[in-house]
Amino acid sequence: MPAVFRHADRRLVANRVLATLLVAAVAGSLLLPFAAMAPNRLVSGESVALVAALSPWQTLVLLGLALVLGVACLARPLGEHRGARTALIAAPLALLVVLYGLGDYATRALADASPAARVSQGAAFWVAVFCCALMMVDAFQRLRTPLWLCSIYALVVLGGIVALFAAGTFDALAIMQEYFNIEDAFAAQFVTHLVLVGLALGPALVVGLPLGLLAHRRPGARGPLFGVLNFFQTIPSIALFALLVTPLSRLGDALPWLREWGVSGIGAAPAIIALIMYSLLPIVRNTHAGFAGVAPATLEAASGMGMTATQVLWRVEIPLALPVILSGLRIVTVQAIGLTVVAALIGAGGLGAFIFQGLGQYAIDLVLLGAVPTIALAVVADFLLQILVTVSRPAGAR
Amino acid sequence: MIELQGLTKTYDDKDVVQDISLRIESGEFGVLIGPSGCGKSTTLRMINRLIPLTRGRILLGDEDISHLKPETLRRRIGYAIQSIGLFPHWTVADNIAVVPRLLKWPKSRIDARIDELLDLFHLAAGEFRDKYPHQLSGGQAQRVGVARALAADPEVLLMDEPFGAVDPLTREVLQNEMRRVHERTRKTIVFVTHDMDEALKLASRIAILNAGRLVQYDRPIELLTQPADAFVSDFIGKADLGLKLLSRRWVNQYQDRARTTPDAASGRPSHYWETDATGRPTCLHGGRLSDGDPEARTAVNDEWIATPGMPMKEALSRMVWYRVMVLPVIDESGRLIGEVSMDGVMGRQP
Ligand SMILES: Nc1ncnc2c1ncn2[C@@H]1O[C@H](COP(=O)(O)OP(=O)(O)O)[C@@H](O)[C@H]1O
Ligand SMILES: [Mg+2]
Repeated sequence: MPAVFRHADRRLVANRVLATLLVAAVAGSLLLPFAAMAPNRLVSGESVALVAALSPWQTLVLLGLALVLGVACLARPLGEHRGARTALIAAPLALLVVLYGLGDYATRALADASPAARVSQGAAFWVAVFCCALMMVDAFQRLRTPLWLCSIYALVVLGGIVALFAAGTFDALAIMQEYFNIEDAFAAQFVTHLVLVGLALGPALVVGLPLGLLAHRRPGARGPLFGVLNFFQTIPSIALFALLVTPLSRLGDALPWLREWGVSGIGAAPAIIALIMYSLLPIVRNTHAGFAGVAPATLEAASGMGMTATQVLWRVEIPLALPVILSGLRIVTVQAIGLTVVAALIGAGGLGAFIFQGLGQYAIDLVLLGAVPTIALAVVADFLLQILVTVSRPAGAR
Repeated sequence: MIELQGLTKTYDDKDVVQDISLRIESGEFGVLIGPSGCGKSTTLRMINRLIPLTRGRILLGDEDISHLKPETLRRRIGYAIQSIGLFPHWTVADNIAVVPRLLKWPKSRIDARIDELLDLFHLAAGEFRDKYPHQLSGGQAQRVGVARALAADPEVLLMDEPFGAVDPLTREVLQNEMRRVHERTRKTIVFVTHDMDEALKLASRIAILNAGRLVQYDRPIELLTQPADAFVSDFIGKADLGLKLLSRRWVNQYQDRARTTPDAASGRPSHYWETDATGRPTCLHGGRLSDGDPEARTAVNDEWIATPGMPMKEALSRMVWYRVMVLPVIDESGRLIGEVSMDGVMGRQP
C-alpha cells in the first residue's frame, strides 16, 4: 500500500487545530450568551442565545458552514491541504454571517423597544469571531501561503466587514450607539492615539538605532546600556507615568517656554516620554542583534576588498541587519499602541480615554468602543510591519 | 612583486610575527605554510593592512604600502578567505562586481568582466550570474570568491586557506583550477595553507613559518631535498618524502628509449612494445612482474600510459595499480615516444 494512503488511513482527523477551534466555536455559541438586551445603557441586560437571536436562514447557513468545517478537518475525503483551502472559504463566511446576524438581531429587537433600550454582543459572539479568525490563520500556516496572497485575502475579508459597516448593519448595536453619541470625539481621540504612538516611535528610533549600533561596536557600553533600558522595562507603566508627573510639572513651572510647548506634569508630554523609554529596549536590542548577526567573514571580505567603513555600514551591515531591526520596530509599535491606552490616565487622550470613561460610568459598551479599535489597530500594524520585515529580507534569503 | 622587510607584529608583548623578510617576485606563486597559530594569517592581513604592522616594511612593487590609503591599497590587492564571505544579499554578478564598482568602472566593462571571470572558472554565465550565494555549492561559492578577488585585475592576490573548508574531491579540482588560473593570468599570489601537499602542488616558492619566524624560504624541490632544520623535515613529513619528491618530478626526467623489437642478442628476459601503423603502443611483451612469464603479452590500456608532463608520483602510482614494471610514454597524438620503468625510478636520484 502506498505510504500516502497508509498515512491518511490511520488518522480520522487531519487538522486537530481546526477541529478544536470548531468544537470551541460551536460549544461557545450554544452555551454562552450571544447577545444581551438591556432596557437602558447602565444596567446589564438579559442574555439571548445564538439560536434565539439568529433568524432561521442564518442559523441554517451557519449550521451548514459548521458541517463543511467539520468535514474539512477530517483526513478523508479532503485531507489536510484541501481541507485548509475549504476552511479558508467557510471560516470567513461564518464570520460574516455571525457579524451580520448580530447586527440584524439588534435591528429587529430594537424596532419595537423603547429608545433607551440597548443590544450588545455577548461572549458567544466573541468566541465565534476569534475562532473563525484563528481558523484562517491556521489554514494559511498549513498551506505556507506567501504573504502577498495573505494580504489580498485579508483585504477581501476586511472589505466584507467594512461593507457591513457601510450598509448600517451594526447601527443598532450599543457599541455603535456609543459611537454615534461621540462621533467627533472618537475621530479626534483616534488621531490623538496615532499621533502619540508616532511621537513616541520617531524619537525612540532616532535615539535607539544609534544606541543599538553603539552597543554592537563598543562591547564595553553594552552592559550599562542594557542595564538601564531593562530597568525602564521593569517599571509598571502606570507607575512610570505617575513618576514622570512631578518632575515634568516642576520643569514646566520652571521653564515657561517649555510649558508653552505643552510640557507639563499631565497630558501628552509624560506619556510620550514614558512610551519612548519603553520603546528603547526592543529597538536597541534588535538593532544590536541585527548587526551582530552579520557574519564576520562577510565583514572581513567587505573591508578586505577596499570598502570604506561607511560603505561597509550602508551597503553590507544595514541591509543585512534590517529585517531584525524591523522586527524590533514591529514589537515596539504593537507595544506602544497598547501602552498608549494607559496614557489616557494622565490625560494624554487617545482611545484609552473611552475605556477609562466607560469604566467610570460602568458603561461596558463605551469601554469596548475604546478597546476594539485599539486591538484592531495593533493587529493591522503588526500585519503591515510583518510585510515590511519580509520585504526587507535580502532577496537571496527570503 | 611583493617584499616583506623585517616584518613584525606584536600582541601584548608577544611577537606573533617576528622579523620576517621575504620577496615574492612578479608572477610567482608564493605559499606561506606552517602549523596552526604560527602567524600565517597575521602576515597576510598585514599585507592588505587589515592588521597594522608593528615594525618593518612591506613593499608592493616599489611602493611602501604604508604610504597608500588602506582602501586604495586593498582595491589593488585581491583577497580570498576560507569562509569566502560572499555577500548573501547580492547575486553572484553583484558579488564579483564589488571592486570594479568601487573603482567606478563603466557598466559595460563590469558586465564583460563578470562573464569573463565566470568563464575562467567554468561557471556558465547564463546560469550563475543571477544566483544568490545560498544557492551555490561549496565549490561553486569558493570559485565565485576567487573570481571576486580577481575582478579588478589586481596586481597581487592574497588567499588565506581558500580551499580549507571544502571536501577533498572538490579541493583537488579547485587546486587544479587555481594552477590553471595562475598559469593563465600570471598573477603574483600569496597563498596561505597548512597542507603540505597543497603547497607542493601549487607553489613556485614556499615559506615555512614556525612560531612567528620564517624558517625556510625556497623552491619546493630544495625544501624537500635540503630542509633547513629538523622542524622543516618533520613538518614536511618523512613518511612519504620519496613520494612527495616524485610529485615534483616529471615523467620526461625519467624517460628511456622504448624498444619495439625483442632483444634477441642478450639471453636475459626483457620486454618490448608492439605498435600499430600510426606508432601507438598496442601491446607489451613481457615486463609484467619480475617472476612472470617473460613472453606474456598484455594489451596496452588507456590507463596505464604516461605523458611527458605527468608527475612521476602519478606514473609510479599507475605502475603499482596495474602491476606493471613499465609504462609507455606517449605524445599528444598517442604515439609511443619512450617508456618509464620501475628500474628507471629506482636507478636515479630523486
Ligand atoms: N587580535 C589578536 N590578539 C592577540 N593575539 C592574536 C590576535 N590575533 C591573532 N593572535 C595570535 O597570533 C598568533 C598567530 O595567529 P594567526 O596569524 O591567525 O595564525 P595562523 O598561522 O593559524 O593563521 C596566534 O597565536 C594567535 O593566537
Ligand atoms: Mg589562519
